[in-house]
Amino acid sequence: MNLNMIASNKVLRIIHAGALQRVIENCINHFSKQNSGIKVEIKGVGSREGAKRLLSGEKYDIIALADQSLFAELLVPDLVENYFVFAADQIVIGYDPSSRGSKEITQENWVDLLLKDQVSFARSDHHLDPCGYRTLMVWQLAEKFYDKPGLYSKMEASCIPYTIYPKSIELAEALFRRKVDYAFLYSSEAKQLGLPYLVLPSKINLSNPAYANFYDQAAVTVESKIPGKNTIIHGNPIEFAIGFSKDSPYPELAQSFVDILTGPEGSLILDECGLISC
Amino acid sequence: MNEEMIGKFELTIPIERSIQAELLLLLGQKPSHGYELIQRLNDAEFRRGEADAATVYRNLRRMDKDGLIESHWEVGESGPSRRLYKITHQGEESLKLWVKYIAQQKVKLENFLQAYFQFEKS
Repeated sequence: MNLNMIASNKVLRIIHAGALQRVIENCINHFSKQNSGIKVEIKGVGSREGAKRLLSGEKYDIIALADQSLFAELLVPDLVENYFVFAADQIVIGYDPSSRGSKEITQENWVDLLLKDQVSFARSDHHLDPCGYRTLMVWQLAEKFYDKPGLYSKMEASCIPYTIYPKSIELAEALFRRKVDYAFLYSSEAKQLGLPYLVLPSKINLSNPAYANFYDQAAVTVESKIPGKNTIIHGNPIEFAIGFSKDSPYPELAQSFVDILTGPEGSLILDECGLISC
Repeated sequence: MNEEMIGKFELTIPIERSIQAELLLLLGQKPSHGYELIQRLNDAEFRRGEADAATVYRNLRRMDKDGLIESHWEVGESGPSRRLYKITHQGEESLKLWVKYIAQQKVKLENFLQAYFQFEKS
């Protein structure tokens, strides 16, 4: 079917994880070649915040989130029917070449280095951004992995308040502006921005499904979909997912966009943006 | 030879290639998605150390492109939809060749061990 015929003057609205900004923009370029004349509006947010915007009544046709489990927790079955896991990633420690101690940071000494008085580090807001709660999970897992009781509490106490840079993409900018020495980011964000980064052991960086049971031991309390109530979420391998809204007026267009992201073109775009296509 | 030295020795074996044989065998046993394959690969103990998620996904895409496996989106009834991989006829033939090659390597390694143990006794 010629989608141009049925969709002229239509606007496709996409809400996406901030970490997917470049991926979504590149997919729109492909989409627009196939569907000329269709306007696409995008909104980049923390994924948890994004899902809650839909719950509060904001309307989007396509939802691309940094944590696939948010669909089951907040959106399925009322707002979204099906969602597709399309990419994987890992948490890394991004830095700038001028960051204090960056020449000697390793998988063995990063905890001691970050906890030094003169060194600053930051994470995003765990209530809004999966990178924020995943960072807390990494610290909990690191406490077990390195057998350092109290590590998690010390990291929390020493970290720059999460409200300063609530989204992971803002953390990356803070590194560029040298406001912080280190930031916990997705590997894809560090790669896209050309930032050096430390890869953490796979047993704690939330990258490998083989360690799903170990990751599950980490748990973080976040605000639930009921205002004023909290919920506990557990660690799992990092997977990004996309779905489209059940009440989208343009399901064929939405499907067409999802097909690009989950198909061969999307796979190349994800590779270019440092994500693992799956 | 200690464990660390054995680990270094194993690094000389082309992991990128042998992982394809391992994935073909697992997919011959049953169709799976990438997430499950990574878990099954680690449980199978075909190799020392863990199978890295990026390596597995990259090889699955390459094998899909080469026609050794095929894939489609499996819509999850209660969870997410994932790409489900299945071995093709071409993949089964490739797996047979891998088995032949590995069996030949095994004979050569056994010959080597036999010669070594005779040497050790002498």
